[in-house]
Amino acid sequence: MKSRIAPVAITVAAVMMALAGCSGGSGDSGGGSDQVTLQFESWRPEDAAIWNSKIIPVFEKDNPGIKVQFAPTKATEYDAALKTRLQGGTAGDLITCRSGALNRENIEAGFIEPLKGFTGLSNFDDLSLSYWASTNGDPYCVPVASVMAAFFYNKDIFTELNLSVPKTNAEYMSVLQAIKSNGKYVPLAFGATPGDAWVLAYMGLYSEGPNYWHGEEGRQGLIDGSKKFTDPEFVQALAALKSWTPFMPDGRASVTYSDATQLFALGKAAIFPSGSWDISAVTGSTGLDVGVFAPPLPKAGDQLYVQSHPDMGIGINAASQHKKEAQVFLNWVASPAFQTIYANALPGFFGMGKEPAKLDNPLAQAWADLKVGAELTPRVEDILSGGNPDFETTIENSLQLMMTTDKSPEAVADETQKGLENWYKPQMK
Amino acid sequence: MRVRTSNSIHNAATKYRYLMLFTLPALIFYVVFAVYPLFATFVISLFQTTNGDGSFIGLDNYVYLFTDPTQSGHFWHALLNNLEFFAIHLIVQLPIGLLLAALITSDAVRRLTGFYRTILFIPATLSVVIVGFIWRMIISPLWGIIGFPLLGTEATALPTLSLMSIWQWIGIPMIFLYTALIAIPKDILEAARVDGASGMRTFWAIKFPLIRPQFGLITILTFIWTMNGFDLIYSLMGGAPGPNYSTDILGTFFFRTFFGFNNVVGDTDYGAAVATVIFLFILISTAGYFFVLQRRLKPHEL
Repeated sequence: MKSRIAPVAITVAAVMMALAGCSGGSGDSGGGSDQVTLQFESWRPEDAAIWNSKIIPVFEKDNPGIKVQFAPTKATEYDAALKTRLQGGTAGDLITCRSGALNRENIEAGFIEPLKGFTGLSNFDDLSLSYWASTNGDPYCVPVASVMAAFFYNKDIFTELNLSVPKTNAEYMSVLQAIKSNGKYVPLAFGATPGDAWVLAYMGLYSEGPNYWHGEEGRQGLIDGSKKFTDPEFVQALAALKSWTPFMPDGRASVTYSDATQLFALGKAAIFPSGSWDISAVTGSTGLDVGVFAPPLPKAGDQLYVQSHPDMGIGINAASQHKKEAQVFLNWVASPAFQTIYANALPGFFGMGKEPAKLDNPLAQAWADLKVGAELTPRVEDILSGGNPDFETTIENSLQLMMTTDKSPEAVADETQKGLENWYKPQMK
Repeated sequence: MRVRTSNSIHNAATKYRYLMLFTLPALIFYVVFAVYPLFATFVISLFQTTNGDGSFIGLDNYVYLFTDPTQSGHFWHALLNNLEFFAIHLIVQLPIGLLLAALITSDAVRRLTGFYRTILFIPATLSVVIVGFIWRMIISPLWGIIGFPLLGTEATALPTLSLMSIWQWIGIPMIFLYTALIAIPKDILEAARVDGASGMRTFWAIKFPLIRPQFGLITILTFIWTMNGFDLIYSLMGGAPGPNYSTDILGTFFFRTFFGFNNVVGDTDYGAAVATVIFLFILISTAGYFFVLQRRLKPHEL
């Protein structure tokens, strides 16, 4: 007997499935009229536990009626995912802002709420605010954390081999040579694999380089076109980086960033050029006695320059439905109270307020002490990044080849300068 | 057989109606998730978005791709790398797949055929990230067995990734050839044995010609899969892969332009143009292959 229901049922099922596939609902910040939940975008899922247990409860206790939901995305996917969410109108109320060109794109597109007249901003100096400002200089995000780059070292190995902390490049080279001659340990936990070439830039060139190109003097010179990357000070910085290669692990072209961290954390390497964000990775459960020293000076008596890169800011989504509550949260973020909690919960991420926070972690304090008497400079690539070809990708590619083949520092400088001149107007004259 | 008409379940119209209803769900899925996005991608590539406003620019994205020295340099380099990746993949996997299929169907592993078939196919079921990470650890100069940095040297990086990919997917050509081998009727092989042919002669004179059409199929499938390849290279080498872009293939080039990399914000319209070009390249190559070669590889009538 022919069934009349079957065809109808199948059609209805097909249509329902199609509709189910098409429906997309983004969860919005729910809650009733007296309870507001703010969604907080971030690229640090590693910090989720600390935010949820140590930082957010303090805020929620003082502000009943406002709940904050920490909703991180993996760092490598954050920028693309955030842009998609901002364009689709489903982004959270609070946004962790990258510093520099990436964030400026979002600002120009009108995705971030301007913070003009925001009282909390008086806790920060103009330079800090400028990293999260529009091209006009208007502030858009509250500075939260900066990170530094320097050299971790294993104190026990240094004691065993009778070494002292190097201050100049000559001392640094002789320390490395002494460790290599001893043969028991790898002198430098530093890899040059192409997938992690950013390490060569961020913790290599941009860490030891400012001592050669005099920090902001060199960086601003590149930005306004008065200096070229082929100038002698930049080539010297590249040559200094290349001189590390005999002391890197065997097969350094396949040593990744996590390999290098492991080498150091297992006590097999003496020196680990890295950033302050790795404080938790090298101490704690490893049981190592770790110290830190600043990038070596070209010669004794030179001015010390240390990389202090503005990493994280927090801003408000321009399309947020809860801007008032978000501003309350930002007010708290701008206060010294938050900075102290944050700096101690996440050692290595330094607050940027005018009042430096007191740090409990001795290694974090040692990092902060590096700033004393030093001139600070962020990583070179801020305004120079992006473009066709991308400055950062070009230089990382060239650095990787310089550290693993016989490519010369002059060739790297040439390639980088040519790449810049292809699109960056101040360098095109 | 006469076709009965009206009031019968074998009515042609009814058959047609049931056919449409049963295929409708799958058809809807296919159109919505495969066909429509292809056309939508092409439409997107005709626009340019600045600060949220899209403006129609026709084929300018394609012109930019092929005339800008940096972009076209990357594109052709990625294409050549991808062809190298495909060539190594094909040339190594065919003999090995054939050998494994022949071994499994031979008398050497009579009782453990099922076991070997399964374990040789298991890598194809593994996540590519697991395969990549474990192999990278095995060949790591620090923790593994090979002192030479294979993945970090320009000359060896792409072949190494090719070999990793072959290791993972060897089960596929093996299964294709295995099913072709067991489809050969036993009486032909018996006749050969009666005539005094040895194992090797039987294989090369009888089995091999009968499974030859499979090679064409494996070739074209390998071509499509390697041209679309992305995950292994991206998970091991990142977004601008390889020492000096030597492992940059079409998939990673597209990913870099569409989603951005480092501080370069992704350009969705230009990325859509890249995707369309890749799709057209694969389409034209595959169509050309079918017209020219596949017609000649007729399966033998048995």
